[in-house]
This record gives sequence, C-alpha cells and structure tokens, in this order.
Amino acid sequence: MIELRDVRKFYRSGSGKAEILRGVNLRVEPGEYVAIMGKSGSGKSTMLNLLGTLDLLDSGTYELAGKSVHKMSRGRRARLRNEEVGFVFQHFQLIPNLSVYQNVLLPLTYGRKRLRRKKSRVLALLDEMGISNKKNQKPDRLSGGEKQRVAIARALVNEPRLILADEPTGSLDEETTESILKLFDRVHKNGATIIVITHDIEVAERAERILYLQNGVLV
Amino acid sequence: MKLFTAFKLACYGLWSNRFRVLSAMMGVVIGMFAVIVLTAIAIGVKDTLMKQMGSLGAEQILVLPGRVLDTANGQKDLLSGLTNVPSTLTYEDAKAIQDVPNVKSVTPQLETITIAQYDERNVQSVLVGTSDQYSRIQHADLSEGRFFTKEEQEEEARVIVLGNNIHEALLGKQEVPVEDEGSSDDAQQTKPIWKKVLDKLLGESASAEETSLVGKQVTINEETYEVIGVLAPNATLGSSTDNNIMLPIETALATTDMKNLTKMIVESASIQAVDEVDGAVFNAIKAQHSEIDFSVVKQDQMLGALGKVTSILQMMLFGITVTALLISGTGIMNVMVMSVRERTREIGIRKALGATTSEIMGQFFFETLLLCCIGGAVGIGLGYAFIEVWNNNIEIFALVLPMWAVKLALYTTFGIGSLFGIYPALKAARMKPSNALRFE
Ligand SMILES: Nc1ncnc2c1ncn2[C@@H]1O[C@H](COP(=O)(O)OP(=O)(O)OP(=O)(O)O)[C@@H](O)[C@H]1O
Ligand SMILES: [Mg+2]
Repeated sequence: MIELRDVRKFYRSGSGKAEILRGVNLRVEPGEYVAIMGKSGSGKSTMLNLLGTLDLLDSGTYELAGKSVHKMSRGRRARLRNEEVGFVFQHFQLIPNLSVYQNVLLPLTYGRKRLRRKKSRVLALLDEMGISNKKNQKPDRLSGGEKQRVAIARALVNEPRLILADEPTGSLDEETTESILKLFDRVHKNGATIIVITHDIEVAERAERILYLQNGVLV
Repeated sequence: MKLFTAFKLACYGLWSNRFRVLSAMMGVVIGMFAVIVLTAIAIGVKDTLMKQMGSLGAEQILVLPGRVLDTANGQKDLLSGLTNVPSTLTYEDAKAIQDVPNVKSVTPQLETITIAQYDERNVQSVLVGTSDQYSRIQHADLSEGRFFTKEEQEEEARVIVLGNNIHEALLGKQEVPVEDEGSSDDAQQTKPIWKKVLDKLLGESASAEETSLVGKQVTINEETYEVIGVLAPNATLGSSTDNNIMLPIETALATTDMKNLTKMIVESASIQAVDEVDGAVFNAIKAQHSEIDFSVVKQDQMLGALGKVTSILQMMLFGITVTALLISGTGIMNVMVMSVRERTREIGIRKALGATTSEIMGQFFFETLLLCCIGGAVGIGLGYAFIEVWNNNIEIFALVLPMWAVKLALYTTFGIGSLFGIYPALKAARMKPSNALRFE
C-alpha cells in the first residue's frame, strides 16, 4: 500500500534549514494497522502530510497504491487523495460554516467516483457514528468526541483504502477514546489500511505494529 | 457538469457564509448605490444649470434692452446686460426684424406684474404680451385648451393662456402663487379637509368642483379676457412659464399700458446663418434707435460665457464619481480580502479532501460573480428607487439614471471583486494544503 524510500524533508526557517525527516524508510501492506509515536516536534505530522500527499518530499521516493506520488501532477495528486486517502486531522479541521451533514458530504462532492445514493451513504455513516441526531448542527456546537466522529465519518465516506489519523484521541477522555478506537478496529476489520499517530501508548497498542520517529528516522 | 458543480458549491459557499456574505454584499450594494446616486445628482445639477442657463437653441438670438458691455477678452459681459435697465425696445423693432433675411421668427415679450381676478380670488401674476410662437420657443406644452393664433393677434382678441400655477391659484387649489413649485403634486390637487369644511360653511362648494378655467372669463385690471388654454408645469428655472399669463401682444398694447419689450427672441432660419442674422438684426434695430441702447446676444456667446461654469461642473462630476468609486472600491476590496483570508484554512481542508485548484477557483469565481451580481442588482435597484423617489418629491431638479455610471460601477465592482476576491483565493488554492491547514 505504502512504500517510502530514503525520504527527506526540511523546512527553511529564517537563515538556515531544519531537516525534519532524514531518510525515512517505511513499507505498509494493504490492510495493516500501524501506529507511529514520537516526541512533540519530531516530525510526525510532517510525515503524515507527506503520506497524505498534502506536502511534497524533498528527496527520496513515495509510492501510494502502486503509483509514484513524487512524480505526479497537482491535479492527479488531488484525485488520488480524494479516492484513496481519508484524513482524521490533529485539530478535526471541520469547516465551521457547513453543517455536520455537509462536512461529511464534501469528499463525495469532489470525487470522480460516481457513487450512487450519496445522501443515504452519508446518513448511514452518521448513524453508525451515533451522531445522526446532530446532522444539521454546525461543528462548533459539538463536543470534542462528536467532532472527532464527524471527522472520522468524513474520512470514511469515500471508502478510501488508507486512513491517516493524527492524534485522533489527543483531547478526548478515556471513554470517548475507547469508542473511537473501537470504530478504528471496525474500519480495520473491513479491510482499510490505518496509520495512526499518537502519544498514548494504550492507543498505539491497539495497532499491529508500533514505529517510533526519532531524530528524523523511523525505528 | 464540472462547471455546474462549481456553481453549486458557490451557492452553498455563499449560503453557508451568509452573514459574512451579507456584509460583503452590503459593500457592493453601497458602492453601487453611492456611485449611481452621486453621479445622478452631479449630472442632475449640471444638466439643470446648463438647461437653465442655455434654454435657447443654438439658432436663437436674444435681443435685450440696455447695452451688454464687452469684457477685456472680447466676451460679452452678460451680467451687465442682465441687470434691469429701462427698455427702449418696441414692437416696431420686432416687426422690423421680421423683414431681415433668414429670420424664421421673432418672439417679442412685453412683461408686467398684475393681479388676475376670478371668483373673488386675486392672484399676482406676470402678464406677458407675446406672439403665437411663444409656447414653442419656451418649450411649454399645453395641458388644456390651445395657445392663441396669429389671427387672434391681429384681431386683438381678448384671449389669455394661463401658466400652471396661476390656473391652480385662480381655481383656489393654491392660496397664492409660489415663487417656485416646491410643493408636491398631491398637495396641490387635494384641498386640506379643514378648507373643504370652511368652503361648505361659506357656501363656496361650487368652486371646489371646478377643475378647469378654459372658457371662463378672468379679469385683469378691470378688463375681462377669455381663458383659452393652460400651460403644463414648466420646470426650466430661468424662464418658467408657471406664474405667467400670456396674451397676444397686440391685445396687450391695446388694453394695458405696457409699451416696451423686455426682450425678443429671434430665430435664425439655420445655424449657419446665425452670424449673418446677428449682424443684420443689430443693424435693423440700430436704424430705428438714436443710440445703441440694446444688445444682440448670440447663443454661442452665452454658452461661451457659461463655458467656465460648465467645466467647473464637469470637474465636480468627475471628482464625485472618482471619490464614490474609490470609497466603494476600498469597501469591496476590504470585505473581499478579509473573507478570503478567513477562508484559507477552509481551502486547505477542501484540498485535503481532494478538491483540485480549478475546482476551488471555480467555486470562488462563481461566489464572487454571484456576490457582485446580486449586490450590483440590489445597488442599482436602490439607486433607481432613490432616483424615482427623488423625482417624485423634489422638483428643484430632476435626476436621471446615468447608464454610463451604472456600467462604470458594475465594471469597478467586478474588477475589484475579482482582483481582491479571486486573486487571494488563487493564492490560497495554490498553497500547499499542509500550509493552508496551518493557517489561523
Ligand atoms: N510549514 C512549516 N514550516 C516550517 N517549519 C515547520 C512547518 N511545519 C512543521 N514545521 C516544524 O517541523 C517540526 C516538526 O513539526 P510536526 O508538526 O511534524 O511535529 P509533530 O511531531 O507532529 O509534533 P506534535 O506531536 O506536537 O504534533 C517542528 O519543529 C515544526 O516547527
Ligand atoms: Mg503533530
């Protein structure tokens, strides 16, 4: 599913440049559930952005679902992102002016996949997440757990093969964390590949494999 | 299909941001409104002043009593001619001019202030002895009846045509003729209730039912005349006919003690002949006068003297338009830049979910287009409504909806809207999504 080879990424900061990723190698098989841990500022989000094609690597190669991302045009990357990747961001990243329903619908609006019954699919997902009663609310009226469910529903709506989650339980209590993790387990059982970033060892232990990001490399 | 999606997204986008959109639209609306109304007022002022000062056609020549002095640069100093000097012009002069080649018509005017009397009502008015050409020259239409004819002039017929205010006042619809027609239409047409009651008590209800004086006898200086026509309200400020009573000049000479003309308007057969006629008219009058106690003024001289005023007005119009455009443009710009900045993160999210740059741009393009269209339409509508209300209530000068100002305002709105709405959106859409997502 994923193949990173000797990936480097640096940010220009003022005068010099800070190398965040210094030769990352990673291979994830389809259907795998991987957790990535690391100190704050170690570059976990940076790596997730690369995996999700939201950012470009500075050297190395990246193949996603058999396609070379580092050679792709902007538009093709957008399509790939739409069809293959579902994001659960560190800070939910819901659009504040759209209702829960509209937020979840967004990936379907941009998709080229001719999904039938888009509406019923969204409603079914909201139901599955236990938030169908909030479908017409604006995100700022929701609790953290509810927002995260909306974000997960949005990540799943297009039936992507890869789910990327950045601290999905970062700001949630134990009970809510558990219910979110159960959702992930279910998605994983249905065959999706999941990469989750977390500080929390208990969250990481739900995955099949745990990797650590240290000094710009994965160990 | 893709275009339709972008359009749909734009509608959603506008609707879901409706409060911000509303404020942006207010910017557009106020901008459009300001440009339209301010230019309409500026044009209205300019046109009215121009019309007032130059209500004569280019082929018309004015003969005034007194000598118009030449200023140093060779222009006629019109102010010196417009002051009151005892007139020595006579109807004989007018007849003499009639024989000058290429003269199409001569309209002499004898004027005096008198009291007209009808049904116990006394109304002060300007009595004008003139020719049958008067209504045409003054651009005054008849609202009722007809103007007097050449034959009636020759017969010294005792017929008069009333100005609009005089007609209303003699009917009792207006207490006294006012200097300018400041009051609105319905105030003139409906009597206040207390007045009707008073009329009833005094047994004067009959007069309230009269709506026209055509065919009735009006007394002026103990002589009676038959009303044959009424002129429609005539708004040209300088030469309004509203407070005038017109009668054939022959009748006026026979029945009143008026003798000397206040002015004559000579019409040349063609514009090309104006210069020649101007000189010939001067010579024709000079032949009858012992000294030059009159002036012959061509319309272009009049306009020449007014040229400076015109250019000042033009500058005023230009200044007002530019200011209005600047103010509205700045407003629209601010609102646009603000709303795109606020939405950078949203753009990042949309891109993360798989939107392409062109899909984002399509949405923003249609959003801007819709915003400017709706705002523009509302702005034009409000401007139009303002002009309508103004024209129905304020009669000092009329406003016209200037099409070029509408276009100018629309172009500026679209130009500024797209520059400051679409360009920042393009920048945000071109950003790496990871950066746009970090945007606060
Ligand atoms: N767009 C950017 N420009 C410059 N520096 C950046 C940018 N994005 C991230 N960085 C820097 O790169 C480093 C890694 O950031 P990153 O967000 O990947 O850390 P992280 O491991 O996700 O941390 P956390 O656990 O706190 O979320 C940080 O020092 C950050 O300041
Ligand atoms: Mg992070």
